[in-house]
Amino acid sequence: MGRMKDFKRFMSFVGKEFNHILRDTRTLMVLIVMPVVMIVLFGFALSTEIKDVKVAVYDPSRDAATSRLISQIDASEYFTVTAFIDSEEGVLEAFRSNSADIALVFEDNFYHRAVHDSDGRLQVIVDGSNTNIGSMAVFYVSSIVSSFQKELAQEAALNQAAAGGSSSSAEAVPSVQIHTSTRMMYNPQMKSAFNFVPGVMGMILMLVCAMMTSVSIVREKERGTMEVLLVSPVKPFSVILAKAIPYFVVSAFILLTVLCLSVFLIKVPISGSLMWVVLVSLLFILVSLSIGILISTLVAKQEVAILISGMVLMLPTMLLSGMLFPIESMPKVLQWISWCVPAKWYIDSIKVMMIQGLGIRYCLDAVLILCGFLTVITGLSVFKFKDRL
Amino acid sequence: MSRGENTRKRIRELLGYADDGFLREDEVIRTEGLTKCFGDFTAVDHISFSVNKGEIFGFLGANGAGKTTAMKMLCGLSKPTGGRAVVAGYDLHFNSDVKRLKKVIGYMSQKFSLYENLRVWENIRLFGGIYGMKDRDIAEKTDELLQRLDLTEQRNRMVRDLPLGWKQKLAFSVAIFHEPRIVFLDEPTGGVDPATRRGFWEMIYDAAERGITVFVTTHYMDEAEYCNRVSIMVDGRIEALDSPAALKQRYGASGMDEVFRMLAGRAKREE
Repeated sequence: MGRMKDFKRFMSFVGKEFNHILRDTRTLMVLIVMPVVMIVLFGFALSTEIKDVKVAVYDPSRDAATSRLISQIDASEYFTVTAFIDSEEGVLEAFRSNSADIALVFEDNFYHRAVHDSDGRLQVIVDGSNTNIGSMAVFYVSSIVSSFQKELAQEAALNQAAAGGSSSSAEAVPSVQIHTSTRMMYNPQMKSAFNFVPGVMGMILMLVCAMMTSVSIVREKERGTMEVLLVSPVKPFSVILAKAIPYFVVSAFILLTVLCLSVFLIKVPISGSLMWVVLVSLLFILVSLSIGILISTLVAKQEVAILISGMVLMLPTMLLSGMLFPIESMPKVLQWISWCVPAKWYIDSIKVMMIQGLGIRYCLDAVLILCGFLTVITGLSVFKFKDRL
Repeated sequence: MSRGENTRKRIRELLGYADDGFLREDEVIRTEGLTKCFGDFTAVDHISFSVNKGEIFGFLGANGAGKTTAMKMLCGLSKPTGGRAVVAGYDLHFNSDVKRLKKVIGYMSQKFSLYENLRVWENIRLFGGIYGMKDRDIAEKTDELLQRLDLTEQRNRMVRDLPLGWKQKLAFSVAIFHEPRIVFLDEPTGGVDPATRRGFWEMIYDAAERGITVFVTTHYMDEAEYCNRVSIMVDGRIEALDSPAALKQRYGASGMDEVFRMLAGRAKREE
């Protein structure tokens, strides 16, 4: 009986919070449109179609084979040869001055080595700071090279037939081999260009949950309605819980939108288990909600709440979560600080599951750390809340 | 009755707080030496007073005199650090009592305390629900209330679209919607013109006539005249407590504002 009453009271609270959110159309639009815009923008900026990639060439052998290969590459719609350089060191210069995106480095005496020693060496050096061009360019270069290799082999066979014609057995045909090796500069691990998807997810969910929840609780404090609620028989805990539920639902909806967009629009594969991606995301949503609640117990003004969630949450989330800059190359101190950023662990684990396609056990530590965050922060905010009364 | 009740009684007896008739029969609030300290600062300094059933009790004081702190203690928002207070039969010393107390009091804060982006009827239903009223009772009383306030046409309007005077009348009506025994009003008429204020006070009189005790803080001295009795707080202590007429006579003043100025002038505490 009493419990039924409590539940009804609680549900009327939840309904009120939904009303607040749904009637604030402007905020709602921002909440829903922002992730869509971000994903679409990033997605198109990172369009996987490459065109006219600038190629610098270092060709010390200058023989028939290299010049044919170079002109084939130049003729393809993907590449434009922009510079001939006269030393390997020139590659760096070309990258720095942005006059080339990739560089082809032939070895000396290329034709001879390819046809007679079956070991023509060609190095493709990629400016890895443009992750998107990098992987695609290597792919196209190698396909051009391999068809060129067949061409050379046929010619060699014809030449041989014309010259001697003694044996037509397959063993006698010289095997032409071009070994293409790839070197990445500036981004040696060749991180996937899709890394931004987990980053955007982490940022958006953090923003929606932490900022919106804290602002909406603090708004009640500021307007004086919180006092009225605290004088009433409602348990403070259920007031807070009622606030968290609608934002949980909104966040889950945003999560769904982002996942759909990334899978269907920009074709980021969810290589790992979808279930775990969703579960870990829900865990992260809970962590962000608890952060929002903690903030709301600490401050009394909406502006302060926004400032704290903006400065204290957003900046570290963007800068220290590995979304924009690789954490591995940061100074040690910053790396330690980044461990205190929940979004880092979330983005890490989503990268592992979504991009690398590994199972949950490869990011179990990150998930456990998120659980730890949730426990500690929830505990703190419950403690702070009681403290005030 | 229940086990909890028995335990409560036992604890009270152990602490020497047995139902000892501390609260007299015709009183709803009685305090003795009620104190609230924040660190070294004594916001409320041993105040003792009582409020009678059905009375309109004015609680006056300059800003910072401690009236809001005292009121927060009486409605269970803040725990006293010393002294004793019994409100509506519940002893503020016990958390279990404070929980029960909250069901039988109403509260209207100095900030406007309804939800701006909820409709008129949604606000009423929400607060009715919070105080555990049945849906049918809420619906019935809502119609009656809106009719009385002449707001029937506005029931679907967002509260933020109502003029301030209406908002405050509505907020007061919502505060007493669940028929509390005491309603606490914290400077309820801030920023409202005198005519609307008079209308507001008519509603307060109506409520008092229905047996609801009204505990009101204000710094409008014309409002102090409307109260049955007023207490004037200075520096955390009650300097004077009596009916407006008696106070004016005692201090040889023509109006309450003169009385107030004489007493508040003694304040040493900075704001």
